[in-house]
Amino acid sequence: MSIEQADMLNGVGAADAARLIALGSRLHVPTGAQLFELGTDAHDVFLIERGRLALTLPMRVGTRNEDVLVEERTAGQMVGWSGLIPPHRFTLKASAQIDTDVIVLPRAPLLEFFDANPAVGYLVLRNLASVVGQRLQVFQAMWLREMQRFVETRSS
Amino acid sequence: MVMFLMVLCMSVFGLAISALAFGAATRGQAVEEQAPLSAAVDERLAAVPERFFVRDAAPEPAAALRLIPKVPIEVFLAQIERHIRLEQAAAESFLSAPSLESLHGRTVSPLLH
Repeated sequence: MSIEQADMLNGVGAADAARLIALGSRLHVPTGAQLFELGTDAHDVFLIERGRLALTLPMRVGTRNEDVLVEERTAGQMVGWSGLIPPHRFTLKASAQIDTDVIVLPRAPLLEFFDANPAVGYLVLRNLASVVGQRLQVFQAMWLREMQRFVETRSS
Repeated sequence: MVMFLMVLCMSVFGLAISALAFGAATRGQAVEEQAPLSAAVDERLAAVPERFFVRDAAPEPAAALRLIPKVPIEVFLAQIERHIRLEQAAAESFLSAPSLESLHGRTVSPLLH
């Protein structure tokens, strides 16, 4: 899968996609290395070119704090959309499960590109809304399943 | 005059006798009445929680202890990860075909059994 076919660029023409990708820089994230940390400022969004990233949240297990997997993202998917959405802080931690290459797209030049090419900006943000909306719906369903079990436990 | 003094003396003497008799009669009774009252008050106070609406007791560590797995932590984390994957898959299955059954369908997660 080429990076121009990334979910973030769905519907964007090849030429525009190439110009957008050219705004970024490639970054190699070795196995186990961290791409971004929960709560830190988010200046960039990332397109995964190769490899796999784990998105985790901390959970207290006994006396220890452990990173618990929340989602996995693979080639062609974007992570770190907090870079585009205020308040621009990462709400998860991302680390590489295997050797991973990402394209780092800084917010400022990206927004300038969208201003200059509003049709592309519209498509990219629509794709972004799709990613955000899908995550919201999945977590809503997961939360409701958990609440259902809680209700069953309490009423039994 | 003599009669008056005689009546006065007898009255004072009678008053003194009455006072002594009253004092002797009520001294023991007061002690007897106070003892059961204080005992009853102590029992009721003991039964009342530290605060009427709020328990003063510190949170029981049992809740935290319950989270400590009986299996090695790595195994427990693997179980959590598997549970989350299964729950996500179930949630995504619900989103692709929303229904009450698909929303609350059971998974084979070891954390639920």
